[in-house]
Amino acid sequence: MNTVTYSNDNVINFLNNEVIPIQVLFDNQPLATKYNLQWTPTIIVMDDQGREYNRTIGFISPEEFIPAILLGIGKALFESGRFVEAINTFDRIIGEYKKCNATPEAIYYKGVCQYKHTHEPKYLKDAYELLKNDFPESDWTLRAKPYSLL
Amino acid sequence: MGRTVNWENNYEKALERAKNENKFVVLDFFNPN
Repeated sequence: MNTVTYSNDNVINFLNNEVIPIQVLFDNQPLATKYNLQWTPTIIVMDDQGREYNRTIGFISPEEFIPAILLGIGKALFESGRFVEAINTFDRIIGEYKKCNATPEAIYYKGVCQYKHTHEPKYLKDAYELLKNDFPESDWTLRAKPYSLL
Repeated sequence: MGRTVNWENNYEKALERAKNENKFVVLDFFNPN
């Protein structure tokens, strides 16, 4: 990660300016126990109370890294009921990282956030339609399929 | 020398900064070997 992803200018800018980055050894105690560390690299998105919202395990390329972290931030905002901020975060993934691994999940969660924010079922159906068209093989398309009946 | 990530290495300080700067924390567990 250090020689590839963490040497990428976009990743450096993102980590230095948009989040608080912390790097610790895999055997750091009590953190390894607190977060049940089993493998490296493990990257965890958490809030200022140390509550975990998302983790990735294994190497992530520079192209996939930022959307993966944004996905964790979006899910944290969603779980905190901050729907408008969450929608904006998912929109950033969908707009700037159109074909990344995190994108279909961002589309799914954006639809859920829009529904929770407005109580309009059309947003769930819209999410399914977009997933069906752009990511027909994604597991997130299958998860959204029931929304086609709304 | 190129630019680098300004990693924190103190957990409590990272959480305190996150609170003060209204940001989320990205924690990377790594193995140097």
